[in-house]
Amino acid sequence: MLGDSSKAQEVFHTTLREAANRAAQGELPKERFWLFRDALWRCLEADKADLQPEALKLDEHDVAPQGASQIEQLEPTQLAVWISGAPDPQRTALALFYLDEFDYNEILDLAELKLSELSRFLAQGRRQLQAWLDAKHPEQGTV
Amino acid sequence: MLRLLRRQRALLNCAPISQDRLADRSMRAAVSRADDSDEFVNQQSFDRAVAALVRLIPIPPETAEWFSEKDLVVGSKWTWKKMARNPAVLAISIAVMVIAGVSVFQVLSRLNDFPGAATARKLLTVAASTRPVMLDPVSTEAGTLSDLFFMKHGLEHYDVPTEFADFRTIGCRVFEDEESRRIAQIWLAEKRMQLFLFPAERNAKTGAVLPFPGWRYIHQEGWVGAVSEHSGVCFMAALRGPEKDLEPYLSKATGK
Repeated sequence: MLGDSSKAQEVFHTTLREAANRAAQGELPKERFWLFRDALWRCLEADKADLQPEALKLDEHDVAPQGASQIEQLEPTQLAVWISGAPDPQRTALALFYLDEFDYNEILDLAELKLSELSRFLAQGRRQLQAWLDAKHPEQGTV
Repeated sequence: MLRLLRRQRALLNCAPISQDRLADRSMRAAVSRADDSDEFVNQQSFDRAVAALVRLIPIPPETAEWFSEKDLVVGSKWTWKKMARNPAVLAISIAVMVIAGVSVFQVLSRLNDFPGAATARKLLTVAASTRPVMLDPVSTEAGTLSDLFFMKHGLEHYDVPTEFADFRTIGCRVFEDEESRRIAQIWLAEKRMQLFLFPAERNAKTGAVLPFPGWRYIHQEGWVGAVSEHSGVCFMAALRGPEKDLEPYLSKATGK
């Protein structure tokens, strides 16, 4: 979400500290995903002060059969930076989806999105990532 | 139709990376329809590759500590002492002890039971509530009342045992209990003792008398009774007080 490990760590610790305080006072919400929602909100807050990505129209390519092997050539941090560079709420959708910890209904609930929105963000994200991969490894690209 | 297709397209775009997240019925249906299409196969392998790479994104060591397998809070050590002080365990233990106590008491009290004990207990209640005016005044030796019971009431074998036969009587009566059994009651001058003669309990199937040997003690509301059976008739000597007050009469008889 943040593309910066120190920021992520700070958000993580703040979220847990706040949760511990609320638990000590017996004020834990009954809502199922409150902790994730809290962490998400803190990520977005932490990111507000930073430089925001320009609203560019990114290239989009259809997902190619060699897409998986192109991804395997990436460094994990490169992918993290790419996802964190996406504008919100697409970034939230991509981060929650590729964590592979939630089903789509849970993501809709957590990110407060509609199915059509989540679908659009994911499909667009795949196409943009494919275009970026094609630009990064033109010899394997489809263009 | 178009709307349905659009929804299916939307579901496919959100199709889970792991098969175990296919919990939703509409998602399962959409995935099973698109399973063979190249486009969906590409999407799935693309998503799997991204998810695999996401899992490799390094977590800062300070944060990783939070996910260590060590217990963050060390649970307090379990001891018998602690468990015994637990209010729930304490309450259950007390309840179990009370139930056990009641059960043991009931078992012990029934251990000395004999055929006719239930009737004898009821008659001890009758003895406690009887007043002398309720009986016909008769001043004689208790042993002689057997003839009276036989001749006047037709009660056979309603004999007062020799241990009590010589005591002077104040009064007597014959009455029926709630089961229409005829009971003879004698009031003695000796320690205001009361004697009862009643039919012995019988086997419900064969009708045979259920005998028991010797004297049996029975207690009810501060009264004590000594019961014996002879020729299908039970005899009970009853008085208010402890068992030891009745013992001398019975041992005297054994001595004889």
